[in-house]
Amino acid sequence: MSTTSTAKSDYLLLFRGNVWDRGLSPAQLQKVVSDWMAWFERLKAEGKCVGGHPLEDEGKVISGKQRAVADGPFAESKEAIGGYFYLQVADENEAIEIAKQCPGLEYGAAVEVRPVADECSIKQRAQEYSPGQLAEATA
Amino acid sequence: MLLFRGPHWDRGLTPDQLQQAMDKVMAWFEGLNEGGKIKSAQPLGAQGRIISGTNGRFVLDGPFAESKEAVGGYLVLHAANLNEAVEIARSMPTLSYGVSVEVRPILAECPIFQQHPDLVQRARERAVQAEQLWVAAAA
Repeated sequence: MSTTSTAKSDYLLLFRGNVWDRGLSPAQLQKVVSDWMAWFERLKAEGKCVGGHPLEDEGKVISGKQRAVADGPFAESKEAIGGYFYLQVADENEAIEIAKQCPGLEYGAAVEVRPVADECSIKQRAQEYSPGQLAEATA
Repeated sequence: MLLFRGPHWDRGLTPDQLQQAMDKVMAWFEGLNEGGKIKSAQPLGAQGRIISGTNGRFVLDGPFAESKEAVGGYLVLHAANLNEAVEIARSMPTLSYGVSVEVRPILAECPIFQQHPDLVQRARERAVQAEQLWVAAAA
């Protein structure tokens, strides 16, 4: 909901899969840990990655009108989001090229590349319905 | 970190209903912001890519558009603990329209890395050396 825009484009890399380290030998694990940290440090030094964090496996999912709270199904999933990088790069191609360097890929991790939007797409759709009203409501 | 899943909750709402929902969302967001609870928040564009396989050899268009699981945006909270984050997530207005909210604690360090502190220590030393090389190269 920020409206800040920069010359560079912002992308989020979402790292999917949080059990890809299972079955790796200590040497493989050493290499992937080492490569991952070097990758992150290099992207930061280049100014292409401005933030990033791993997420804890535990969590909650809230859904429905009753606001039901369930334990998150994160522990053993190939789809689970394990962490993210926030990139500031020239364009989507550069974000994809960076994603391809992820050291976890050869062990089954996947990386989702998503553009960060200046404005929520639903707000844009709502404005198509009633531009005047919404501009007033959100001014 | 709150991950908002199901980015098409506005489908089937009348313009009036959508207007009301948007007003509630904006009021919710502003209330949190004024309370100093929001560290960062962005919507994500619906387009994107999923990168997988060794050296990222598979680049697929993301299956985001029609999925109830798709992440439509995120919000990083300043919360005292998971309970406070869950309570904030439960107050999110669009839960009534089918959005679900995943609540995940942000970690300083990856859970996979935490299991192998000796490997991480060695990797960190190498990463610092690599960063120094990159900074020197960039200078």
